[in-house]
Formats: sequence, structure tokens, C-alpha cells
Amino acid sequence: MLSSMSIQAYSMSKNQIKDLQERKLKEVVTRVYENSPFYRRRLKEAGVDITNFRPEDIRKIPFTTKTDLRDNYPLGLISVEKSKIVRMHASSGTTGNPTVVAYTKRDIDAWAELNKRCLEVCGVTSEDVVQVAYGYGLFTGGLGLHYGAERLGAKVIPASTGNTKRQLKLMKDLGSTVLACTPSYALFLSESAKEEGIDPKKDLRLRVGVLGAEPWSESTRKVLEEEFMQSAHDIYGMSELNGPGVAIECRKKNGLHVWEDHYFVEIIDPNTGEVLEPGEKGEMAVTTLEKEGMPLLRYRTRDITILDDEVCECGMAHARIKKILGRTDDMLKIRGICVFPSQIEEVISGFEGLTPFYQLVVDRDGPLDRLLVKVEVSEDFKSDRLTEIVDLQKRLEEELRDVLSISAAVELNEPRTLPRSEGKAQRIMDLRKI
Amino acid sequence: MVKQFSIFLENKPGRLSSVIDLFERNQIRVLAMGIAEAGNYGIVRCILDAPEKAAEVLRDANTAVNLVEVVIIDMKDLHNAVKVLGEKGINVDYAYTMDMGRIVIKVDDEPKAKKVLSESGIRTY
Repeated sequence: MLSSMSIQAYSMSKNQIKDLQERKLKEVVTRVYENSPFYRRRLKEAGVDITNFRPEDIRKIPFTTKTDLRDNYPLGLISVEKSKIVRMHASSGTTGNPTVVAYTKRDIDAWAELNKRCLEVCGVTSEDVVQVAYGYGLFTGGLGLHYGAERLGAKVIPASTGNTKRQLKLMKDLGSTVLACTPSYALFLSESAKEEGIDPKKDLRLRVGVLGAEPWSESTRKVLEEEFMQSAHDIYGMSELNGPGVAIECRKKNGLHVWEDHYFVEIIDPNTGEVLEPGEKGEMAVTTLEKEGMPLLRYRTRDITILDDEVCECGMAHARIKKILGRTDDMLKIRGICVFPSQIEEVISGFEGLTPFYQLVVDRDGPLDRLLVKVEVSEDFKSDRLTEIVDLQKRLEEELRDVLSISAAVELNEPRTLPRSEGKAQRIMDLRKI
Repeated sequence: MVKQFSIFLENKPGRLSSVIDLFERNQIRVLAMGIAEAGNYGIVRCILDAPEKAAEVLRDANTAVNLVEVVIIDMKDLHNAVKVLGEKGINVDYAYTMDMGRIVIKVDDEPKAKKVLSESGIRTY
């Protein structure tokens, strides 16, 4: 049974969404102006007229960045009395302060609802057994999906990350039908299953994968759907926007639907901040429409994508973003050219006999940047004719040069020698001394 | 019919040793071996005395390995053999020597090679 709240969200028309967003935008701008000293100052400085706020005025509002969160550490951006905060999550602070996000009870409730919607859109029902193998704790992945699955009435296994053998045992013995984790961990679980002598088609019952927290490609989907689960869906989110549950791939898998009754999305030029048209590639900036504890205006996600505002074949009008193409921080500048690891992943996936694992090493040869792409051959790699292998390496280098517009050297590695990760994959080594 | 193992290995110290060590531990004897290298990788081609077991241990060790059909002749027949093959339009892709005075030959048409060699009275293994 779908809840009435969800049904309403699924059946909204483009016009209903637009009207709702315009009303909520004004509400949230007014709310942060009245309750957050940080935003009041920002909005005043930018000369935004709150009383007569029109939807197009959103473009006058300065972007909020991760640096703003760090500079106002820990709770400088909240828009409610501290006593109303019931939860705080924090991101890993590898440089300087971590970023802290705060939730009211209503925020937690909305977050649960959005994750429930995401699961429902993937076809998950109360009959399913949902194994949540995202990290639980300060990272929002585990708890977010957990709340969603619980609200749906499914059976939840809060497995968290790691302990792969136990994950597989539980998956088999408890009959998990849904796996929520990072795509790289799903690949790792799939590989490990084979090693443990588990045949996913016979021994496991995985129907749906709800995979997010890092960008992944169609080739990863293909591998997972052929070998591990029936249907792999991309889920998008970040702790600043509650966590997972911001956007989800429906059964058409042609982009991720953003829940536009909760999030207002703009795609901007990362260099100039100019708002781009649907269809143009740029950085996604999000305004939270419902968040109470820590609403954010035009938050720069640093994720690169493209907006598609057409009604989806699935019938839902919520606009879609393309699978994340990369992050502005992952973006490598090599010899002045912007390179995204996802571009390299797509090239690799077009070649037979290679696994989806790779590593990028950037270093400097004198004044010149050098890119080395380490790829891994699979066990069924054609390994007899040296000329064929040399030829494959050459073709890979040629295609990389075509796609990236810079040359890259390819190194072939033996099966299972490149690092696997249980969380976000560590695929880039930048050895340049600047 | 003899199957040759073609193993993809990274070209760095210790990799070959780890494979030979694997054979040793499983009492698999190497009867012939050749290495071809290109840059950071190479192919180890070998004839082993326990092919089935070897296939299993290599698979368990997650090795990229292919099985290839090859022709083995006695070294004393080499001159005649390559002459016959050449006359019949069969190309020799590569070859390497083997224990017991034999030589391993990889040709582009293995069944035809065996046939023409035996018709010329050359023994193949």
C-alpha cells in the first residue's frame, strides 16, 4: 500500500510542482531571513527584497558553499532554536573542520518519507528484505535508507559496511531481496560471492540494488544486473541535503527524479555561477524547500550533471538529473584540460577482458603533467597473443585521447591487483607537487 | 592433443617466481616454457604435466590464463617440419624448445598442421 502522501507526490503535474516550488521558495527565504543571522546578513548584502520576493529573485541570492558550512562550524547555519535540533551528522573533515548538519524531528520524518519514496520507485514493497550496507553513524547513508525501508514496512537488516563474508552469509540465509550500498561495494560483494562459492542466481534472491554515494556508470549497472541483482538503481543525496533520498532512478533508468516538492534544483556554470538551461552540463545547486533545522539556499553540491525537465515515460513529472558525471573536486586539471574519472570509466567499459576497477595516477615529467591509467584484466582475458594485447592497449590509449583530448598511458595489471574499496572508491592518485 | 597455458603476468620481479612456486607446491612439472614481454607485462607460455590440475590451481589463484592448442615435434624433425608447413601455407606464430629434445610450435591452423605433418611421416605429440 502506498501512503497518501507518497501518491500525491508521485502524481503531481509540472504546473503543480512549479506553483508549489514558487510558494515554498518564498517561504524558505523568509524563514532563513527571520531565523538565521548568517542568511539575514547574506540576503541583506545581496539586496534581496524579502517582502516582495518573486521566484526569479532566487538568482540574486548568493550561493551557499561547503566553505560557508566550515567557516560557521559547528551550527552557525541553523534556522531554528537549538533546542529543536534532535540530530547532528558530520562529514569527515580531512582538511580543517568537518561539516556538521542538523535535523529537527520534522526533518528526520521528511527524510524517512523521501527514502521510502525512493525505495517505492525502485519497486520495493513491505514484502522485501532490505540489507542496508551503507555505513551507519556519522555518514548519513545507512540511517537514511534504514528509515525509508522501515517506514515502508520492509524487513531491514542494518548490516552497515564491512565484514563481507558475514554480509554474504546474511544475504543468503535471510534471503535479502534489496541491497542498499555504494556501487563499488556492490561490485566487491558480487566478486566475493563467487569466491565464497555462492551462485547469486541460485543462492541469492537480490531483486533490487539501491546504489549511491559515488558516481557510477552504465557498465557497472550491466555487470551487476548480469551477475548479481535484477535491477540496479542509482540513488542521490548528500548530508547537507538530509542524506540519501534527494533523487532516484525509476524503472526507466533514464535519469534520477529529484523530489521537487522538497528540493529546488539549478544547474550552473561552476566557473561563472551563471544558471544554465536544461540539457546543459554544469554543477548542481540545490535549495532545500522543506528543511527546518538547517535550510540551505542555492547550495553548491559540486556534482556535475545535466537537468532534464521533460515528463518521464514512467509518468512522474519530477524533473530528472542525469547520472552524476563527476564532481568539481574530482575534476582533474591535466595540462589545463578538465578530466573526469567517469569519462575514463566509460572508455574502459567498452573493452572486453577488462574489469571495472581502475586507478588514475597523475604526476609530472618536468613541466608536463602525465596521466597514467591503470586498468585490470579479467580472468577471461585473451592472454596468448602478445600482438593482440599490445593492440588492445593502443586502442585504449587512442580512445582515451579522443575522449579526454589529452594523451594518457595505459598500464595493464593482473586480475585482482588494483585496490578495492568498501566505501567510496579511491581511484585517483595525484602526485603532482604544486 | 597438447594444451599450452598462456598466462598474463605483470613484468616485475617475483611474479614469475610466484607462478612457478604455485606449480611446485601442487606437484605440477613444467615441461617447456617461453616468455614474451611487452612493456609492463608479458605472457608466460608453458606446457605442464598435469593440465587439469594446473587449470584448477591457476583459476583459484585468479590468474588471467588461456589454453591454446599447440603442436609438439621432435627437434630432429624441425627442418622437415617447417618446410612442410611452409609449403602448405601454414604460418608458425611462435615456437620454443622443450625437454626431451622436442620443440613446441604454435601454428595458425593446428588441425591442418597435424594432418600434413603426419602425412609427411613426422611424429607429433
